[in-house]
Amino acid sequence: MAASGVSAPTRTEVLHLYRSLLRVARQFCDYNIREYTKRRTVDAIRDNKNLTDPSQLAAAFFDGKAQLEVAKRQALVYSLYAPKVKSIMDIIPS
Amino acid sequence: MASLAASSISLQPRHALATSRVSGLKLVSFTNQGRNSLSFGLRPMPARVRISCAAKPETVDKVCEIVRKQLAVPSDKPVTGESKFAELGADSLDTVEIVMGLEEEFGITVEEDNAQNIATVLDAAELIDKLCSGKSA
Repeated sequence: MAASGVSAPTRTEVLHLYRSLLRVARQFCDYNIREYTKRRTVDAIRDNKNLTDPSQLAAAFFDGKAQLEVAKRQALVYSLYAPKVKSIMDIIPS
Repeated sequence: MASLAASSISLQPRHALATSRVSGLKLVSFTNQGRNSLSFGLRPMPARVRISCAAKPETVDKVCEIVRKQLAVPSDKPVTGESKFAELGADSLDTVEIVMGLEEEFGITVEEDNAQNIATVLDAAELIDKLCSGKSA
């Protein structure tokens, strides 16, 4: 593969991506999808925590950004058809 | 400010502490009408001033709880306002998660730059108090 010249993301960019993914996760109305998104981002980011090779870092970061786009779109679409009945896990006992 | 304080105490004559001081403050406020010196009015007030440091203790406690849960700190290790996240074994990813947890708990939104500068529990509590008071004000 030719060197694409894509530079590795900086620490701040990665943290910003992490924060954005977690924020998007909060927007889902469905409890299950929300929890899954949170779990998956935590796991994925931690798995890639120790990468040092710049091309691997760039690939993982690009992957993360693509997933962020997907998540944003899906959060919007899900909210259009949100069920009226909330999941039992979302109901706070009063 | 001293005259305002005197008027607020006079509105609650039932308060035992205040009644004994109301007379004292009333006298003082009359004499201070001409001058703006606040030193007379502030001395008998210490019982009212609870917030001595920049963050409320209940906020600090809540933050400690969340940090303890997030970092799985063993119960014998103390988590106080002065504890730094790095000392408790948190890396930058943990800090992001802690800030997210705090946002959810307190219903606030922390900006990027503010979030980068949080290093101790007290920093987080002060930021939360500032954002909460900014929201309700």
